[in-house]
Amino acid sequence: MRMRRAVVGVVAGLLLAAVPVVAHHAFSAEFDINKPFNLRGTLTKWEMVNPHSWFHLDVKDESGTVVPWMIEGGSPNQLIKQGVTKNSLVIGTELIIEGYQAKDGTNKGVGRNLLLADGRRLFLGGTEK
Amino acid sequence: MNHRFLVLVGSLVVPAAVTWLSTMPVAGQTRSAGARTSGSSAKTYTAPRTPDGQPDLQGIWSNTTITPLERPKDVTKEFFTREEALEAAKRVAAQEEEQTEPGTVADVHYDFTQFGLDRSQAAMALNLRTSLIFDPPDGRLPPLSAEGQRRAAERAAARKSRGGLHDAVQNEPLGARCILMDRNGPPMLGGAYNNGYQIMQAPGYVMILTEMLHDVRVIPLDGRPHLPPNVRQWTGSYRGHWEGQTLVVETTNLTDKFAFQGASENMRLTERFTRVDDDTLRYQFTVEDPATWTRPWSAEVPWKKDVGPLFEHACHEGNYGLYNTLAGARAEEKRAAEEAAKKRSPK
Amino acid sequence: MQKWLKRALTVSLGLALAVISAGGQTRTYRAPRAADGKPNFNGIWQALNEAYWDVEAHAAAPSPVLELGAAHAVAPGLSIIDGATIPYKPQALAKKQENFANRLKLDPEIKCYLPGVPRANYMPYPFQVIQGPKYIMMIYTFAGAVRTIYMDAHKEAPADSWMGWSNGHWDGETLVVDTTGFNDQTWFDRAGNFHSDALHVVERFTAASRDHLLYEATIEDPNVFTRPWKISMLLYRRLEKNAQIMEFRCVEFVEELIYGHLRKKPSR
Repeated sequence: MRMRRAVVGVVAGLLLAAVPVVAHHAFSAEFDINKPFNLRGTLTKWEMVNPHSWFHLDVKDESGTVVPWMIEGGSPNQLIKQGVTKNSLVIGTELIIEGYQAKDGTNKGVGRNLLLADGRRLFLGGTEK
Repeated sequence: MNHRFLVLVGSLVVPAAVTWLSTMPVAGQTRSAGARTSGSSAKTYTAPRTPDGQPDLQGIWSNTTITPLERPKDVTKEFFTREEALEAAKRVAAQEEEQTEPGTVADVHYDFTQFGLDRSQAAMALNLRTSLIFDPPDGRLPPLSAEGQRRAAERAAARKSRGGLHDAVQNEPLGARCILMDRNGPPMLGGAYNNGYQIMQAPGYVMILTEMLHDVRVIPLDGRPHLPPNVRQWTGSYRGHWEGQTLVVETTNLTDKFAFQGASENMRLTERFTRVDDDTLRYQFTVEDPATWTRPWSAEVPWKKDVGPLFEHACHEGNYGLYNTLAGARAEEKRAAEEAAKKRSPK
Repeated sequence: MQKWLKRALTVSLGLALAVISAGGQTRTYRAPRAADGKPNFNGIWQALNEAYWDVEAHAAAPSPVLELGAAHAVAPGLSIIDGATIPYKPQALAKKQENFANRLKLDPEIKCYLPGVPRANYMPYPFQVIQGPKYIMMIYTFAGAVRTIYMDAHKEAPADSWMGWSNGHWDGETLVVDTTGFNDQTWFDRAGNFHSDALHVVERFTAASRDHLLYEATIEDPNVFTRPWKISMLLYRRLEKNAQIMEFRCVEFVEELIYGHLRKKPSR
């Protein structure tokens, strides 16, 4: 799955100031830029909580042992306005997650990209990629 | 509605640049201190009334904005043209759509557009203003008073002596600690997302629920006195009354812990809510704080009607991130210490 | 005569006229109406019992915190439950006892977590009802907890939450609130009485006089209890002038408790 490469520009002139993307906490404080991962696992739980939702996955490691992972995503509040519910994502769904691992070394990460097994984005927010 | 394997959120949302915006009608009303609009006229709107006779402000609202608080240095005019404002909104939407460079710090983040958290998926009223601040007329914060400068220096020194941002929970930002966010204020200013509010009115009260942090102010309209001066609250002591179509809320008894733009605990805030059409609320506020600024200053931002529901924002309860951040910082220090120890006595 | 005294005497007379018992037999009192013709429950209300310690009947007991002595000792109280005790399944009862033994560590109230339902209604602090035809809001003092009761456009809970998802309707003089979508994190009291995420609460609010609401709640959770059980109590209107809900933002009071162990140790 290719990550789009682009430059996050700073607007100038007539344009309004670049709006902050990261609001209240810096993810680079929680997760390690030097520990990217690419996981494939089955969903055991989607905690639709604030300030961030968390996806719980069972991931098989090389030896075939099942290891639980916890992946941080976005607040569910806007999705709920758009009609998403706890029944929208079925337990057992296979997910592919690209992200960065927690700095404390545990099996947690931020889900930079959340994909279904067929490569489509999990939640098709905005335009389809 | 149950989509079993695929969430077709994209099909529910129409993020076309224009449809999610409504223009703040440029009515000819005047407000304090030269807050003119761009000059074209519109019919004066009269809000419907609640059963007890208050102008009806009720509903779910969003104060998402791309307008900065202060006018950018290279902008001299007070208003954009409608075309310029729409263009700026489109540019922000495009910015938000771009993915970040892998391996950069900005890339260590979840894909927020996938969760509908970008501004182009939020309800937003188009604002022709080049800054939220309209008074002083240059659209910028007034100069700090002498005491304001002293207090700012004191705060900077205190921040330094506290140590690193992740040394202790009390050093982290208030939002990361789930104590208070810009959306609560007061004044209430939107952030990147989840800028939802619910206004309800009952006889003698206006209730404002801020989605983020599930914060509620129940504002009495009966002219009762403020809380006594020794009782300080994060959102102060708030008392409201109607002036024609406008709800005026006066707030005192703040603390110095939130320190809006560096304000002191003696800041007096006046907020004004006026419904300017069915879908738009004008939110204006004036800050008076001689302990910080040489003169009062005022700003305004239009709120747009939104759909609900607002979902419980149990921030503190779900705050794994804060724990992970602190634990991660300690783990990194431990690793660094171990590496340093190895270097000192290699085996 | 002082206004509040006059009011209090009117209340007593009203109480004498409205017969109330814990068994739920009420001669229906007709509350003043809101603009939409429904009973008007706007106001500031508070429970006056000791159920916040333990919803079952209990004697006085020491505080688990030595230094707080009698100031935090358990106040004695009668049961608020029809049938006196909670009908736990045997394994659930063992868990309740474990909760009680570890309540200092486990009680969500201690960590300033949202209190859930029905606990929020009998915490010893006032709460305010703001009533409209589409929504009825309940705004609590503790942790600034808030509930939205949807009076029309009833939906299923989109996701689990601490205060649940409440759908309400009027049944004559009674506000009926049906709440589901709870997580499994809240307790019913400080004694470790708990539930699972299958919790289902049906509450009934009925005016018993101008300044009293009869509050009844039926609690159902097939994972934890052998059958539904019911609590009831009066809620009293806070009558003093300028009664208001004040801020009880307790997050900053508990940060050291929750995160203190993660503080950076001073370097040597």
